[in-house]
Amino acid sequence: MKLERKDFLTMIGGAVVGTGVGTLISPGPWMGLQWLVEWTQDQYRPPKGEEKYLASICDQCPNKCTVQVRMIGDRAVKIETSNQGCAAGQLLLQVLYHPERVKTPLKRTGKKGKIDFEPVSWENAIADISKKINDAINNKKQDQIVAINPAFPDATAMLNERIALFAGSPHVYQESGYWALSSACSLATQKTEGAIDYDFENADCVVSFGARLFEGWGNPGRMHNVLNIWKQKGVKFIQVDSIATRTASLADQWVAIKPGSEPIFAMGVAHYLLKYGRRSGATNFGRFTELLINKFTPEKVSELTGASLETIESVAKALLQARRPVAVAGKGGKVVSSSVAEFAIIQTINSMIGSLGNAVKLVTFATPAKPVIAKKSRGLDEYIASDMTCDIVLLNNANPVYSSVYGERLSEKLKKASTVVLFTSLLNDSAQYADYIFPTLTSLEIPFTGQAESAKFEAKHAGDSLLAIAKNIPNIAAQFPWNSYLDVVKAVNFQAKNVANLDIPVDIITAKLEELEKMLQASGSYSISMVPFEIPVVGEGNSLALPYVLKALPNTILKGDTSWVWMNPVTASKEGISEGSKIDIESSRGELDTVRVHLTKRVAYDTVAMPIGFGHEELTEYGSEKGVNPKPIMSDALDPLSGYADWWLTRVKLS
Amino acid sequence: MSKVIDFLKNEWNSYPRNIQISLYVLFALVALFVIFAIQILFWGLGYTDMNNRFAMGIWIIGDLGFVALGGGAFFTGFMLYIFRVDKLQPLINSTVLIGFMCYLFTFILLVFDIGQPLRAWFGYAYPNWGPHTMPQSMLTEVVWCLTFYFIVLCIELFPIILSNKYLDRYPAVHYFAHYLHKLMWIFAAIGTFLSFFHQGSLGGGMWGVLYAKPYWFRHHYFYLAIVAAIAGGPCLMMLAPKIASWVAKKELVPKDAYMTLAQIAGVTFIAYFLFRVYDLYTLAKHFAPLFDRNLVDMMGGYYGWWVVGLELLASLVAIVILNVKKFRENEQYFIAGLISGVLAIVMLKVDVLLHGFSIPNFPWQDFFGYNPTIQEWFIFLGSLACMTLIYMWFVKYIPLFPEKHHEEAH
Amino acid sequence: MAKMTRRWGMVIDLDKCTGCGACNIACAQENNLPIFKDDSDVPKRVTFLDLIEVTNDKDPKAQYPDVKVAYIPKMCQQCSGNDPNNPHPPCVSVCPVVATDVGEDGVVSQIWSRCIGCRYCQVACPYEARVFHWWKPRYEGSFKESLNPDVSIASRGTMVKCTFCSHIWKRERDKAIAQGITDINAVTYTPACASACPTNAILFGDLNDPSSPVYEPKIQKDPRAVRLVHSIDELRTKDPSEYEKRTKIKEYPNPKVYYLTSQQWLRDKISGFKNS
Repeated sequence: MKLERKDFLTMIGGAVVGTGVGTLISPGPWMGLQWLVEWTQDQYRPPKGEEKYLASICDQCPNKCTVQVRMIGDRAVKIETSNQGCAAGQLLLQVLYHPERVKTPLKRTGKKGKIDFEPVSWENAIADISKKINDAINNKKQDQIVAINPAFPDATAMLNERIALFAGSPHVYQESGYWALSSACSLATQKTEGAIDYDFENADCVVSFGARLFEGWGNPGRMHNVLNIWKQKGVKFIQVDSIATRTASLADQWVAIKPGSEPIFAMGVAHYLLKYGRRSGATNFGRFTELLINKFTPEKVSELTGASLETIESVAKALLQARRPVAVAGKGGKVVSSSVAEFAIIQTINSMIGSLGNAVKLVTFATPAKPVIAKKSRGLDEYIASDMTCDIVLLNNANPVYSSVYGERLSEKLKKASTVVLFTSLLNDSAQYADYIFPTLTSLEIPFTGQAESAKFEAKHAGDSLLAIAKNIPNIAAQFPWNSYLDVVKAVNFQAKNVANLDIPVDIITAKLEELEKMLQASGSYSISMVPFEIPVVGEGNSLALPYVLKALPNTILKGDTSWVWMNPVTASKEGISEGSKIDIESSRGELDTVRVHLTKRVAYDTVAMPIGFGHEELTEYGSEKGVNPKPIMSDALDPLSGYADWWLTRVKLS
Repeated sequence: MSKVIDFLKNEWNSYPRNIQISLYVLFALVALFVIFAIQILFWGLGYTDMNNRFAMGIWIIGDLGFVALGGGAFFTGFMLYIFRVDKLQPLINSTVLIGFMCYLFTFILLVFDIGQPLRAWFGYAYPNWGPHTMPQSMLTEVVWCLTFYFIVLCIELFPIILSNKYLDRYPAVHYFAHYLHKLMWIFAAIGTFLSFFHQGSLGGGMWGVLYAKPYWFRHHYFYLAIVAAIAGGPCLMMLAPKIASWVAKKELVPKDAYMTLAQIAGVTFIAYFLFRVYDLYTLAKHFAPLFDRNLVDMMGGYYGWWVVGLELLASLVAIVILNVKKFRENEQYFIAGLISGVLAIVMLKVDVLLHGFSIPNFPWQDFFGYNPTIQEWFIFLGSLACMTLIYMWFVKYIPLFPEKHHEEAH
Repeated sequence: MAKMTRRWGMVIDLDKCTGCGACNIACAQENNLPIFKDDSDVPKRVTFLDLIEVTNDKDPKAQYPDVKVAYIPKMCQQCSGNDPNNPHPPCVSVCPVVATDVGEDGVVSQIWSRCIGCRYCQVACPYEARVFHWWKPRYEGSFKESLNPDVSIASRGTMVKCTFCSHIWKRERDKAIAQGITDINAVTYTPACASACPTNAILFGDLNDPSSPVYEPKIQKDPRAVRLVHSIDELRTKDPSEYEKRTKIKEYPNPKVYYLTSQQWLRDKISGFKNS
């Protein structure tokens, strides 16, 4: 067969066309596109592995809930809290695998006020700190050593305290909160150091004076269980509050009062209890009744709190009619602000209704014997406010630069100190002034009941680091006989005590109430009351570093990096403010960054409800610079018995 | 190379000043279109103001508007080729081109709008036909109908392109185009059939089947959209050559053609208006109560009453102008009538989408607002600019208006 | 294999919900939800379970202090349409590419790798339960370690949704099969939100099972029960002929999530627009 040029070209053309058509109708192009789709997606595939469940605990609060950790290979992928605890347990993995977790000891390289660190070896860091403390002891500069612990005590806090005390320092403090404030009250009024504990499980009537019991207050895990019990038994629950919080809406009765007037309302209730014949065997009860009769008549209380006479009476009656009633003090949620005077008034009510010493107990944190050194300040805020200097500061899992209303003053103190040591898993505001940072472990990484996850880096629990530091100080090493943090955990425990005696500090109460009366009636430029509120998942603010928390925040709290405050529309229109307005809030202490306003009738008149937990200068990529921290402009009046500022109520003006 | 540049230079300089300025603007819009298109395609829809509550935005409004107005193409073709209204002949080329572009840009905007443009072909590969012969998902029907009708439009457009005076010199091209033209009634018939379906489904059916959504669920919504397309589409088909004539400063289409189509559009607009009033009435009295909702409450918000009001007003203006001979034959009134007709249909689509999404789903919500971002605006406006440029190019180089060319030849 | 007879549903007791957020976070952890630096853009946020804060403070008559607040954990309501035996959720039939389907157990699934991101299902959903990945999902650094291999990571531009954690059911089924149990109806499970809820406010189970706490006929008789934007439920007992008439004209979502509350204001808000 003769092949001509034309035929040849036709054949080639045919082949090309055929191949083309064939390819087009084959799955080829589709497969190619599918491949392109997948290639452009760059999808991450979590590795598979053997599944197992390991037992562990959540140590985010003293409740220490047990959890099950779902493991895939050596990765923890889920915390099973089995219908107990709170959101904190679910968040453990976000701490465990946080990309910014502190993994080695860090030493400051730059100036204080910035995050500027380099990794150092454990040996050098521990040796350096031990030497500094030892030198302070040898040079009789023990009073330059300060130990600061978190709001709830634990074994690590005990070690921190022990180092300071055996070194001879009078400066052992804990962050402000329910434990510190209620302990100060029981120490002053019941001669026992321990936090006030209420028998919620068996109570049949509960009146909460501003304690937002189901929004992070106390041990949230326990409180959730309590709610279930109350719903089953039909326990009468009365909430006294100035904001329609979820706790107020869960209550059978919400008593709306003017912000911050909780102690005065409690006086009104006490007045009715007295009227219905209730007495207390407490010391100074006579003088207390005089105060009630002469100064806090129901009419006066009604005027100051905004609650009607019937309401005050109904609360008193509810307590009277109950078999096992409880009056709860401690305004706030996870963060509590109050005064010893307020605690004492409410403890007096508990004494009048016969609950003190049975439905209302004290819980002490029992620790091994330690030296008794007279404190130079009653509380952390009083210490910061004083002119005393410090040189060595041990910050155990605390962030007082953020949490204290005196935070800025503290940062000045810390700047001058030579050795500030912070034990933390994530860098926070206080880290800006630290010289050393030590990592710590999550409860998942410690074999409390079973070790879920061994740390993926060479790490020690803060307790073990503190133990190592202590053992390295010749003068005090003998006082630390434990081998590891786990031994220390066994050496401490919580003990409940029934203490029925009460010494009512009438003078302190009188002074506090007079001060409050003045604040509530204050007119002039600072005409608006500012009170705090919390979002349970955010709490005191540390969990803002955990990004899943951001998924639970409504737009009425935080939008971008702007905080929103809440106001009643009536007040807002009086002030010429509308939804979304930008306002500046100013108190006698200073002015806050601009915030926006959300209008809601959930807030009392002439009041700004201020979300707390936001506005960290430093709290990882996820929590930094989000919203405002109102602490710098909040009330800084020191409570004379506790040594902490009572910042609940602040008078402000808006512009 | 320098020859090409010289040619382009001369060409550009031959344009009047105002055309040059408009071209600058149009080219700028196209450039921005390209820039933002890259951003959207590579980094996703996060840059739009659409969100989980307001799931569809300006692009889908554009799609619905394009398809409804482009529907004028099927209707004019249907009138010309099936009903033999030969007076429409001078308009048909322009009509086919506008229809083609409307559908082309519907596809282009859809590609931006879907989150996974590379998976767009899943619509053909894994269609949701469901258990019956009719597709289960209205969107499946839309995709397939749009595709087929787009192919028909391509075939209809082909002979028009081939009639370019350079191409027309080749006998093979000339005869191919000629015979394709002769067969056009078949495509017009197919196109009408397809178009009826997707006009109904995209414009109405897609929304009418959403049984859980009170502002959309209506059995007759499918048919309303068809009538809307028949009423509004021809208005655009007349408006475009009117504007072209205005720019070219000479009448491109004989008045006869306009008046014939205007009369048809006028009558359908009456039907549309009555249908729409019936639609709103049944929504208030029948469909909203099925959801325990109140039309008056649903009509609040940012895009409530005024959108519907404007739509009805524009329809009325169109009805009066297009049906009354005195007004229709007045040049200014006529153009105002055409603009009102287009506006009425666009506002219907704005109402369906913008207001439809704005309505709260839960009692504790407010009406939602939607502010398209610059990405959304420029991709949308850039599409319009592209369409304008293509139309201008066709007017200049392709005998879009054969009458005009014939006259010139004589 | 036996035919699936389970019909999973939920009962959420809002009187017990404190708004603690455990369900929201458990859901995010279980379902590999993306992690962003700023997640405050609520309408674009990827969450399967919204913890909605609802208050009556916008009611014209409401005045401080007669206002209340509650939280509604809102996930996909797994609608079934009028006939639960032949389910027709509003979102399933509209998908142009069969990326979503309703299973024999009534759970509405979503195949993320099939979805083209047209968002038509989101438009159809009356409960805003479907969320779209407007941005590429991110998991910074070691956060990847905690990702659940049972849930594939979705791409940018696809629709995702709550599936009642049906991957946990599959996990439990596989375990049962490994133990030689082939009856799929013997397999039970609990989604992440329900097993996290510290007050046991979220109960999960089989709506068809008389021994289950969520047995539907029993729940329907509960005066506290109310379904989300589903005021037609009232007619079922009050005006059966009107109920019959309406359900003949159109489908209703008929969700499988029941809320319980003793608060009348909240019942009014949840039930829809009729009373609020």
